[in-house]
Amino acid sequence: MEINAIPQTFAALGDPTRFAIVERLLDQGELPAGALLDVAPISAPAISRHLKVLRQSGLVQQRIDAQRRLYSVDPEILAGVAAWIDYHRKFWEQSLDRLERALATES
Amino acid sequence: MAELTLDRRLNADQARVFAFISQPDHLATWWGPEGMHCPDHTLDFTKTGPWHSVMQNKEGQKYKVSGQVTAVDPPNSVAFTWAWHDENDKRGDESHVTLSLTGNRDGTTTLRLRHVQLKTEDAAASHEAGWSSSLNKLETLANQ
Repeated sequence: MEINAIPQTFAALGDPTRFAIVERLLDQGELPAGALLDVAPISAPAISRHLKVLRQSGLVQQRIDAQRRLYSVDPEILAGVAAWIDYHRKFWEQSLDRLERALATES
Repeated sequence: MAELTLDRRLNADQARVFAFISQPDHLATWWGPEGMHCPDHTLDFTKTGPWHSVMQNKEGQKYKVSGQVTAVDPPNSVAFTWAWHDENDKRGDESHVTLSLTGNRDGTTTLRLRHVQLKTEDAAASHEAGWSSSLNKLETLANQ
């Protein structure tokens, strides 16, 4: 998934900290919670809360490895989201092209 | 979970554009991709209530989408829900579409289309088989 597709994809999440978490996970792959603490100048429990929201949304998954919790972006969800945006963008772009022409010709 | 926003500057005043995004006769002239025709539809965004559209391509493949018109604010905006039906006519998860108009001083109108999908299940499903294969075909057609 391209980094520049992220803003539209995650706009529904509407939070810059969650955006920063996902961006870092996309960039670096699977990370432990400790490696996410500095994505924003907020407390560790606050980061945890954001991770919980992201996990509930299905966008981020958690793997437990001994005492560590490891986080990563769910690639299936990402691919699905990218596909959804792509399909619907094409549908609407073409429809709006037709609307422009209809406005010009129809009375 | 996924969101799409498109802006277009249209060469018509706001009242005329609103007619085209709400009235059944006008909607039918532009709804759907190039190369599709609409054999069966109830497209009326002048009032709240159910709507549906069946689009058909040259090969006879059908794509059905339906929803409820949730808000109409003439001459500013229309909003409706949106869900594709699969080959078994089963309706997928809903997303939300809003068409908003802003009149410009030069007599043109800016249309903003916003389409928001809130559920990850549907996003994941759209990458899988079933009705997503219909969308794949829709995409292929749109690319021609």
